[in-house]
Amino acid sequence: MQTHENKLIAEIKALKEEFINTTDKLIKDVKRQDKIMARSDKRQKQEYDELMALKIEIEETQKEVVFTMGAIGESRSKETGNHVKRVAQYSYLLAKHYGLSDKECKMLEQASPMHDIGKIAIPDAILNKPGRFNDEERAIVETHAQLGYDILQYSKRELIKMAAIVAYEHHEKYNGTGYPNKLKGEDIHIYGRITALADVFDALGSSRVYKSAWDDERIFKMFKEERGEHFDPVLIDIFFDHLDEFLHIRDSMKDI
Amino acid sequence: MENLQIQATKYTPEIALDLKGIISLVGKSYPENTFEFYAPLMQWIEEYFKNEPAKKTVVNMEIIYFNSSSSKLFFDFFDLLEENANEHEIEINWIYDEENESAEEAGEDFIEDFEKLDIKLVTK
Repeated sequence: MQTHENKLIAEIKALKEEFINTTDKLIKDVKRQDKIMARSDKRQKQEYDELMALKIEIEETQKEVVFTMGAIGESRSKETGNHVKRVAQYSYLLAKHYGLSDKECKMLEQASPMHDIGKIAIPDAILNKPGRFNDEERAIVETHAQLGYDILQYSKRELIKMAAIVAYEHHEKYNGTGYPNKLKGEDIHIYGRITALADVFDALGSSRVYKSAWDDERIFKMFKEERGEHFDPVLIDIFFDHLDEFLHIRDSMKDI
Repeated sequence: MENLQIQATKYTPEIALDLKGIISLVGKSYPENTFEFYAPLMQWIEEYFKNEPAKKTVVNMEIIYFNSSSSKLFFDFFDLLEENANEHEIEINWIYDEENESAEEAGEDFIEDFEKLDIKLVTK
């Protein structure tokens, strides 16, 4: 009886020891696992932060490149000062009220200033000529739409693709009498229709060496006449419905 | 028993296991199936110590990027080394770039967990 009992106790003691060893190992494993998890969480946070910083860096770089391209185009055109910045804001506003997605509106804001980039390929002698262009010169200047498209069309970047459309179609007219392709109505991409209106509105309201600024009444009269002719009627309606917003942009970004 | 050499991939380190007692892991480690990937390494190490290991074994690990399951596997790997540390001389160099904070912290964790192992932190 006595020996039998001892044997049981010995077995239980062995079990106990095994149990302690196993639980010790389990505790050690759990602790390790926790440590790995904590390290991993910390690193994931760092990596995510770095990723976001990079994303911002890429976006800012893109914005800067695009804005610089717009400024280059502008330096080659007779527009000056804050022209491209205002065109950007008008385009954004038109896009928003037209119902384009938030993303598209913000992209168009960045892409529309590039509309005149093709002018870098127009000879100085023509571009800087004081006074009006003759027919031949005008034909050359008008190639800037095609040239801008040629420059930008091969990009795989969404924003540059959009800028290519803007450069190509910002001189098309709703009634089909524009250039370079005499596109008509909705065949003109909405980005082109929007930038056309934004560009003309700003150009008319600004004074240049060769012309004084049009007063508002004259601009509004012309816009009403050109509703469905030069410009998309929907966009003209948006313009007049939200006139105060457009004038606010103009006032806040005056040329000094 | 032969030397074992595994080429690096985009996700896995170069592994070189030399019977002269040089074990090296260099590169990144974020395989999809970590334990499967490292199975040949673990198997080789077990065999190596069972057979006739070199007088001194040097383990050089230079892992610039690793996922959490790799981290777990390295613990298992060090467990295996520790089991043999009493009878064999093993030196481990955990090599990392000064700026690689996570590699440094991992090295510190290993030192803390494996008192019997001689783990050195080596900055580049």
